[in-house]
Amino acid sequence: MGGGLITLARRTLVAIGAGVAVAAAIRVRGSGGIPPQTGGWRELRGDDLR
Amino acid sequence: MSRVLLFGAGATGARIARQLRSSGEVEELEIRDPNAERLRRLLDSLGDGAQPGLGRRITGSPDAVVIASPPGTQVGLARRAVHEGVPVVTTSNQTSEVRRLLTLDDEARYREVPVVVGAGFMPGLTCLLARHGAREYDEIEEIHVAKVGTGGPACARQHHRALSSTGIDWRDGRWTRRAGGSGRELAWFPDPVGGRDCYRAALPDALLIVPHFDRVQRVTARQAATRNDRLTAPLPMLRRPHPEGGIGAIRVELRGRVGIERRVSVYGAIERPAVAAGAMAATATLHALAGDLGPGADGLAAVSDTVGVLRTLASRGVKPVRFEGVSTFV
Repeated sequence: MGGGLITLARRTLVAIGAGVAVAAAIRVRGSGGIPPQTGGWRELRGDDLR
Repeated sequence: MSRVLLFGAGATGARIARQLRSSGEVEELEIRDPNAERLRRLLDSLGDGAQPGLGRRITGSPDAVVIASPPGTQVGLARRAVHEGVPVVTTSNQTSEVRRLLTLDDEARYREVPVVVGAGFMPGLTCLLARHGAREYDEIEEIHVAKVGTGGPACARQHHRALSSTGIDWRDGRWTRRAGGSGRELAWFPDPVGGRDCYRAALPDALLIVPHFDRVQRVTARQAATRNDRLTAPLPMLRRPHPEGGIGAIRVELRGRVGIERRVSVYGAIERPAVAAGAMAATATLHALAGDLGPGADGLAAVSDTVGVLRTLASRGVKPVRFEGVSTFV
């Protein structure tokens, strides 16, 4: 009974640790890109009217 | 210098008259409208060079006829003008009338005159922007147009009727009938209009666009409406429409292929609808007078020199816009 609880706790900790590791890797190495800083509606001009 | 006969002195007709007179290309402008008081007010504001006329016959050998009378009254006038061999510009936004105007194609080609069908804000500028934007694509697959706002009272009544009438979409190479008021879609228009819920309605744009885009798969048209608009759409208008609506906007979304890349581009314009429709109809008239438009009955999606027409339109005060920022994906 006591051994079963320890095994469950150990597996839980391993699962949480793995989740944290993956999240950290994505957070550190991943790139969500930069949201558009420019753009929007602009009048037709230049190349648009050639 | 030319002589132009204009039918209609309402919100759009008045703008067409002012645009034509200020262009310097129209020496004589004859205006006809059954409402004598409205016609007199317009003529007073125009001064010399504009004169009143009577009846529905094409008299006085005009160089072009512009029809801005209420929807449902334009086919007979257009037919008479074609029969006289005079170029015609119409502004109808009624689906059944646009269908009938397109049937003038054979006679217009025989008499070698252009009949511009639906030279307004939408249809009109929407068709022109679709044609213009398509230049960047190897293949256009989808075209979706939408509008916000109304011009004068006749336009407001037509807008009200359209929401409760059957719309037509082009889908997978065939026409599909759709219930008006269905198909809610959030569409983003040029600022300050922004996002509006748009619905299917009896709008003629697809009829004017589809014939000019080979292999296009989907063409749809929607108009913005509120809950109140949708609730009251099946009823007669509960109050008189305003003399003129407020600010309006159009939006044209193109989807297609450039090489192996799939691309989306969005064009739009913002203006009071009667002002934009007046500028668009006047622009089409000036190009018809210059002989730039080919014979036959067609919408502005048939224009080959879109740049020239857009430049004239800009000189008349309406400058379309394009959305940039997230318009491309692979």
